[in-house]
Amino acid sequence: MSELNFGQELLHTPGGVRDIYGAECASRLKIQQELHQVMISYGFHDIQTPTFEYFDIFSKEKGSVQSQAMFKFFDRGNNTLVLRPDITPAIARCVSKYDREEEMPIRLCYMGNTFVNTTPYKGKLQEVTQLGAELFNDTSSDADAEMVVLTIESLLKSGLREFQLEIGHADLLRGLVEEAGFSGTEADELFELIESKNFFGVEELLDRLTVAKPLKEIFVSLSELQGSFKESEQFVKERTDNKRVLKALDRLKKVEQIVAMYGYEQYITVDLSMLSNYSYYTGVIFRAYTYGNGEALASGGRYDGLVAQFGKDAPAIGTVIIVDQLMLALERQQILKKEKFGGTLVVYPAEYREKAHHLAAKLRGSGKVVQMIRKSSGRELEQYQEYAGRIGADDVIFVQADTI
Amino acid sequence: MRYITFALAKGRLAKHTLSLLEQIGITCEEMKDEKTRKLIFVNEELGYRFFLSKATDVPTYVEMGAADIGVVGKDTILEAGRKLYEVLDLNVGKCRMCVAGPESAREKLHDGSLIRVASKYPRIAKDYFYNTKHQTVEIIKLNGSVELAPIVGLSEVIVDIVETGSTLKENGLKVLEEICPLSARVVVNEVSMKMEHERITRLIKDLKKIVSAN
Repeated sequence: MSELNFGQELLHTPGGVRDIYGAECASRLKIQQELHQVMISYGFHDIQTPTFEYFDIFSKEKGSVQSQAMFKFFDRGNNTLVLRPDITPAIARCVSKYDREEEMPIRLCYMGNTFVNTTPYKGKLQEVTQLGAELFNDTSSDADAEMVVLTIESLLKSGLREFQLEIGHADLLRGLVEEAGFSGTEADELFELIESKNFFGVEELLDRLTVAKPLKEIFVSLSELQGSFKESEQFVKERTDNKRVLKALDRLKKVEQIVAMYGYEQYITVDLSMLSNYSYYTGVIFRAYTYGNGEALASGGRYDGLVAQFGKDAPAIGTVIIVDQLMLALERQQILKKEKFGGTLVVYPAEYREKAHHLAAKLRGSGKVVQMIRKSSGRELEQYQEYAGRIGADDVIFVQADTI
Repeated sequence: MRYITFALAKGRLAKHTLSLLEQIGITCEEMKDEKTRKLIFVNEELGYRFFLSKATDVPTYVEMGAADIGVVGKDTILEAGRKLYEVLDLNVGKCRMCVAGPESAREKLHDGSLIRVASKYPRIAKDYFYNTKHQTVEIIKLNGSVELAPIVGLSEVIVDIVETGSTLKENGLKVLEEICPLSARVVVNEVSMKMEHERITRLIKDLKKIVSAN
């Protein structure tokens, strides 16, 4: 490296993390604020949890990512710590701790960064901002629908118009597998095939196993059971009377009806083959998609067993919006309004300092943004004018003897 | 109408795919010109775009949503380990992923010894030895002519695609174990599948009819 390049290596950020600055940072903060406001308007209360916690909070069935995908380190007592890969388990922990006796609904919302140690060169961010809400102690289908509606309204608030929220039920496939009597590994294999919508693979697998014909028909046609809920419901009901499955269908139907009552039916589709990506989900699950993004930008679901792992028996449902995915979609669909600095630039020579400060205080008092610069003797007024243009200021005031 | 973009793995498979697509009424005249240096081809009327890429890049384009649909071998899909919908088996390019080596290496696959395995597919090799056979091995990543490795003593066995087995035979190697069957697959991006559900489902159904008729 040549002498001239000294310090250049300090400019880089590690792969998977990035700086957010300028107009992008401004629009991002504004959107975060607006979405947060939607959650507040539904009665959710803010909560903040630490950026790192004990590994056990997020491990195995409590977490959303595998152990290898977490950033780990040790504290002085040699306990394993992780940068949070997800926020929901931390909030479940808080509810068990601070609201142990409360039996009525608890609504909490949060915003924070999460960290996943992904493989490099795959174009994935390792640090993303999650904005989410959790509703505890309410098992009703109304609670499920509220979280779906909250997600839809948040996305609409951001300016996004073309998106689809897909709803499924975690117990549906579990019920069907239970009915079929598959072993753990057989079920895992089946889930993996369904997850990747590999239905010719599903057929092959079912040919190998012994399954009753009606059940096989359900598994094979799961890919087509998307869209019209009425037809798919009928199809499944004619072929099984498994209680878990029927209960799941019933719940989906109710949630769909309530969301339609809110007037948002055009944004939802029911997908019976939807699998929960987290093992903590026990009921209704959903994911939101839009054009221009390769992956979901919001997701959520019911997790009635998670809080109990921290000592309080509380059912819950949550939703989370991945701010980075949302921003990407808004930018690609050219919905994003560029935020500019606006405001006034006040330039003053040292002798009019007092005058300038009075002026600035008056303007700031009336709600204006004011940026002050003491004029340097080596710079011309035009240079300040140019600078104001560069930073997007609305106007420039040069303080002179006759400035009021 | 939005474009539906296809990523096709360069070579024989792309040609075959284009002829299948032609049979269901999706044509791309531009692409038939062998001398063209264009990278992307468009059918404006039907709203389709096509591009050719290296096979190993197809899963990347599709996972990230740069292409909605991809056509690529199962070996590449397994090795890429990306999140994709694998919706159709085209039943062409059939072959097997195998463990191969000299006959003398066969016992080393059963006595649990720490052997060296050379492969272009380290992920598939690792998954097979660690999760199916529960044997700890050393995996050596190579980029071509993998058959050389056991001959010159770089490794005890290899994990590679076997079509007819003639290359192995000529070099005194044998298929020792079969890992899985392979063929060309149609993969779809998760989001495209939701957002363009009707168009993509129709396309897959049409393709399926042609494939099962062949």
